[in-house]
Amino acid sequence: MRTVRSAVSMWRLHVAVLVIVIAAQFIGVQQIPLGTGAILLLPLLYAFLLGVLLNPNVISRASAIIRQREVQAASPIIVIAIMPFIAKFGTTIGPAIEEIIEAGPALLLQELGNLGTVALAFPIAVWLLKMGRESIGATFSVAREPNIAIVADRYGLKSPEGTGVMGVYVVGTLFGTLIFAVMASLLASLDVFQPEALAMACGVGSGSMMASCTGALSESLPEMGDTILALAGASNLLTYATGMYISLFVALPLVERLYNKARPDAAVAGKDG
Amino acid sequence: MSADNAAVNPTRISREKIDVLPTLRDLALVSILGWALQLIATELTPWEALGGMAGLYALCAGGLFLARFVPFYLPSVAWISLLGIAATLPFTPWDQAVLNLVAEIDFLALSVPCLAYAGLAVSRREIDVVKKSGWKLLLVAVFVLAGTYLGSAVIADVVLRITG
Repeated sequence: MRTVRSAVSMWRLHVAVLVIVIAAQFIGVQQIPLGTGAILLLPLLYAFLLGVLLNPNVISRASAIIRQREVQAASPIIVIAIMPFIAKFGTTIGPAIEEIIEAGPALLLQELGNLGTVALAFPIAVWLLKMGRESIGATFSVAREPNIAIVADRYGLKSPEGTGVMGVYVVGTLFGTLIFAVMASLLASLDVFQPEALAMACGVGSGSMMASCTGALSESLPEMGDTILALAGASNLLTYATGMYISLFVALPLVERLYNKARPDAAVAGKDG
Repeated sequence: MSADNAAVNPTRISREKIDVLPTLRDLALVSILGWALQLIATELTPWEALGGMAGLYALCAGGLFLARFVPFYLPSVAWISLLGIAATLPFTPWDQAVLNLVAEIDFLALSVPCLAYAGLAVSRREIDVVKKSGWKLLLVAVFVLAGTYLGSAVIADVVLRITG
């Protein structure tokens, strides 16, 4: 009974979400042409945007509807709300199991794609933007929860490395879905990569990043829908299993080394706390 | 999707402390939202959509129980994913029954409630982090996310071409 009552007391939150999701779903998928490619705007992006606009921490006048207690109650529901989606993904993997096993080597190796953050973002952070040890925390991983735990363990979250990982974590939470949708729809319309590869890459981040990425991909390549879901889902499942170990044993030591090479005079600080 | 667990217990990934009843309740709430969205997004009748959401609910509930009671640690989303696979493997006697229920459910519509809650959950602390981190960290973050995607896509593409 208490469980029911505490849910009823949060009616403002759930009614707000109901209104938001119905509005978002009715707007539907929209397409913005961009050069030879296109960016897809998806209902989940509008839902996030509408949620932010009703958030009293962003728009202070929204506090007439949504108060701080609703904001706090919303946070644990995020991971619950993605569960039916993850379940649906699982059911697309089962029927495609032979295809998945055939793609096994590619699926396993693309987990190393995490190192793409090092190749692309680390030089920009260290040489172009002249950032300090923040660049270590910021660029060794895609900065989801397990990666934060690694940094917290090694350097503490108040350290420069902690600032780096938290910064990327928050930006990922706020803009990750948008970035993944843009990357997926642009690369799909450029027609350079095989759709299977783009699908596997969708699984490297959080559940909602995968949602927007696969959504954008399957809207661009509707005839490949089932394969896209199955491969992305399998890749995401692997990420849960391996992502933390790759970032702990490969990416973080690599970034540490690169940083110490790039900034020899700063190498004294921070080693293994 | 909160960093709190990680921050409180930094030395290892702490096992999720799942309060089963409130979680099942919230899961029911988001499933009702999901059901409403299915009626907009698909051609399913209300009963078919209800059956599909009930099937997914059962998989989620099963995954939560496994995450809570199995003696070794896997995140609940991983359990749910594994159950979804086990329920639809082609050589099982039950796969067609499960697929009849859930195959027509639109996955994109399923993801919409999650993002609405995420937008409403943005905290003052998170806004402070972005303000304090400044534009440099914001820019790096964009390259980190894009780089991960691109890196995985390149490796997968090369390996697929080699292995045929």
